[in-house]
Amino acid sequence: MRAAPVTTRQNRRFGILAIGLVSMIALAGCQAAEPEASGDPVSGGTLTYASGDAEPTCLDPHVGGNYPQALIAGQFLESLVSRDASGEIIPWLADSWEVSSDGLVWDFTLRDDVTFTDGTPFDAEAVKVNVEHLQDPATQSSTGYLALGKVEQVEVVDDLEARFVLSTPDSALLESLSQPWTAIQSPAGIARGMEENCQAPVGTGPFIVDEWVKQDHISLVRNDDYSSPPADAEHDGPAYLEGIEWRFVPDSASRYAALQGGQVDVIDNPQPDTIAAAEQGDAFKWIDAPRPGASNRIELNSGQAPFDDERVREAFVRAVDVNDGIEALFFGTAERSYSALSSVEALAYSDESLFETDLDRANELLDEAGWTERDAEGYRVRDGARLTLRFPVSTNQSIPAEQSLFEQVQATAKDAGFEVVIELLDLSGWYGALFAHEYEIVSAPYTKVGPDVLRIVYHSDSITPAPSGYFANLSQLNDPAVDALLTEAAATSDPDARAELYEQAQQIILGGYYLLPLYDQQNSFLLSTKVQGARAISTVSTPSFYDAWLAG
Amino acid sequence: MTRGSPADPRGQRRGRTIRHAGLLVAGAVFVMWAVATLTFFAIRLIPGDPAQAILGGPGSQASQEALDQVRRDYGLDQPLIVQYLAMLGRLLTGDLGTSYALKVPVADLLGAQLGGTLLLALLSLVLAWILALGLSLWSTGRGRIATAVGEGIELTAAALPHFWLAAVLIAIFSSGLGWLPPVATGTAAGLVLPVVTLAVPLAGFLAQVMRESLLDAMQQPFVVSAQARGESTTGVRLRHTVRHAALPGISLSGWALGWLLSGAVVVETIFAMPGLGRTLLQAVTLRDIPVVTGVVLLISLVYVLMTVLTDVSSRIADPRLRQEANR
Repeated sequence: MRAAPVTTRQNRRFGILAIGLVSMIALAGCQAAEPEASGDPVSGGTLTYASGDAEPTCLDPHVGGNYPQALIAGQFLESLVSRDASGEIIPWLADSWEVSSDGLVWDFTLRDDVTFTDGTPFDAEAVKVNVEHLQDPATQSSTGYLALGKVEQVEVVDDLEARFVLSTPDSALLESLSQPWTAIQSPAGIARGMEENCQAPVGTGPFIVDEWVKQDHISLVRNDDYSSPPADAEHDGPAYLEGIEWRFVPDSASRYAALQGGQVDVIDNPQPDTIAAAEQGDAFKWIDAPRPGASNRIELNSGQAPFDDERVREAFVRAVDVNDGIEALFFGTAERSYSALSSVEALAYSDESLFETDLDRANELLDEAGWTERDAEGYRVRDGARLTLRFPVSTNQSIPAEQSLFEQVQATAKDAGFEVVIELLDLSGWYGALFAHEYEIVSAPYTKVGPDVLRIVYHSDSITPAPSGYFANLSQLNDPAVDALLTEAAATSDPDARAELYEQAQQIILGGYYLLPLYDQQNSFLLSTKVQGARAISTVSTPSFYDAWLAG
Repeated sequence: MTRGSPADPRGQRRGRTIRHAGLLVAGAVFVMWAVATLTFFAIRLIPGDPAQAILGGPGSQASQEALDQVRRDYGLDQPLIVQYLAMLGRLLTGDLGTSYALKVPVADLLGAQLGGTLLLALLSLVLAWILALGLSLWSTGRGRIATAVGEGIELTAAALPHFWLAAVLIAIFSSGLGWLPPVATGTAAGLVLPVVTLAVPLAGFLAQVMRESLLDAMQQPFVVSAQARGESTTGVRLRHTVRHAALPGISLSGWALGWLLSGAVVVETIFAMPGLGRTLLQAVTLRDIPVVTGVVLLISLVYVLMTVLTDVSSRIADPRLRQEANR
């Protein structure tokens, strides 16, 4: 049943990696500042990191599975595989892997001599326990659970060989396994139960959770026995830093002031104006690491009027002008996207011509669609109903610059006669509006490694809400042709055939005016210049401080 | 000792004091009950499913089984009135419940955060008092210019929003001069900016009411007689009029502490300090009902205690109030 050719490309890749990429500093996407190593790394010192993301409620990224968890879990947990700057999957806790010809059986050969920081050996049994933990409803996993949806079971072939048996072929399996939400934890750690494991999960990573003072900080200390860096790391052995103090500083101005004052060494989520200001001097380094998966985009709800009419969708896309707004509000830190996928995805397909602003064309299309009259305020009316677009905006997910951009969308759409009603909501209220389908346009991020995110966001299966009301296909795109392409792509392991299928799917999605792409999902870090060797890992663009050291 | 006084004035006074205390306690219990009830029903009016909050927050992709399980475990499938009575029953036994999001007892969570917030609020109250007394003593009765300047400062200070003041203080003292850290560091230096941010607007309020009573007091005959005895202006102020100026300040302090605790939500967030304010903000966002209820109850309790305390200290500072109780 199982032919066992190690994919030769993978092998060669690893060879090249081992020789060539060791010295490379890999940053996701287009990096703005190349951290230059000045002098030799020195050991010691504690790095202070100030996070603007929400404080996790549980440090185990198997539970739930959101970005704040991924940010910190990357410091103490590791995955079976990683992804390098060019987008290739590279070995991490798994040395190599082979897949059967029917794509249903994956054998992972694990790294030898790796131990969890509680002394438990890392082996095939640990991998099995982790997958079972993710798939156990009691774990309350959402992200990792979805990512491993096609894994039926893991079999222990021997100590260092774990066999994943799938229900259907999954070309995204490696990408799914590269994410922090499916990272491998100590079985003994998991066995302590959720409450204890949430406080301090146990992994194989370069740091160990020492203490979590709620709403203040998490102390991480160095794992002196560390032995499992990913294939693209710069050195072997323990990290240079003695520890990391991971602080939660929700206010962005305070965060930047603390970086300026030297109280912290690294901040995340800097606002665009802050990045622009920091870039003017040379006191700080900027790591621009867009998140993978979907781009930030405005989805047009094609499931109900008025956007069930493609002409009206195109009219909206042609009417609004976002380029000037992006330029002015993001100070050149964000590049306009014309794709449904993040620019870090090698298979992202762009078509700028579909999104050129053309007010005359917009007006023409709306006239054709029967929205011929205008009321006293200049909004179009049909059968006594105004052409109104409800736009719930999450204040948790949209930064102030993005909220201002949406106001510009509102203003420019008015020229064509659209009334855009922006509602600023907190996260619960925002999801509430989506569940109730009380939206015509909406912007929702979706982070996932690889183009398979298209299946989650645009396959008609994702229109059916989960029992909790959650559904990811917010444009409510329902096209059997798209479904077929995305399903086939997910099961196609041949890289060229897979790329071709994803391109076809993206052409249909973009060409149907279901979305207005804005820019990559922004994800930036500002570092004091004394921090050397830090990078963002090219999976979900979380920072890695394994190679980092403090100069002077 | 005097004619017409009751046979046992002391006992009667004690009786009145006990009755007064009884009323205070009953009032406090009523307030706590009302707060618990209002919070319970208000939080259910805002959109968001508590079962989802338990299963990883808004947007969680929980399965139907998990949702059902959680609804059963937490009694969310019961009628609202049953849930309400269950909550009251729990509260009566002193059980604040378990946080939905953090899965730890609410009492432990709040216990860990209360100290920091109380310290912040009390230090701010003390600083506000010092600033307000200083300003009103300096600017009252020293001519029109001093009065105008004093009133101007008070009005401006009272109108300053916390978030703006915090940003300005950070810009000047952290980013600009580099004297003080913009985020709490667990040291005294880290407390300075948050305390100043909270104290300045409050000092504006307090000074306004103090000035009025001070002016009032300075026109009283006893001030004139003290001056006639040859006491200096400063002496008169410190020995005789401060008490009058302080009275409305004292009765306002109960209110002020409640006001400071709500200001702590903003200040703790901006200065990244652990505390009740941040806990409350996070809990509301996550629809963590037990924590929201717990924080609101705790703040109400502090508020009620402060009101009792100010009532008592007003009686100490102002003999007239004690006599009233005797009448």
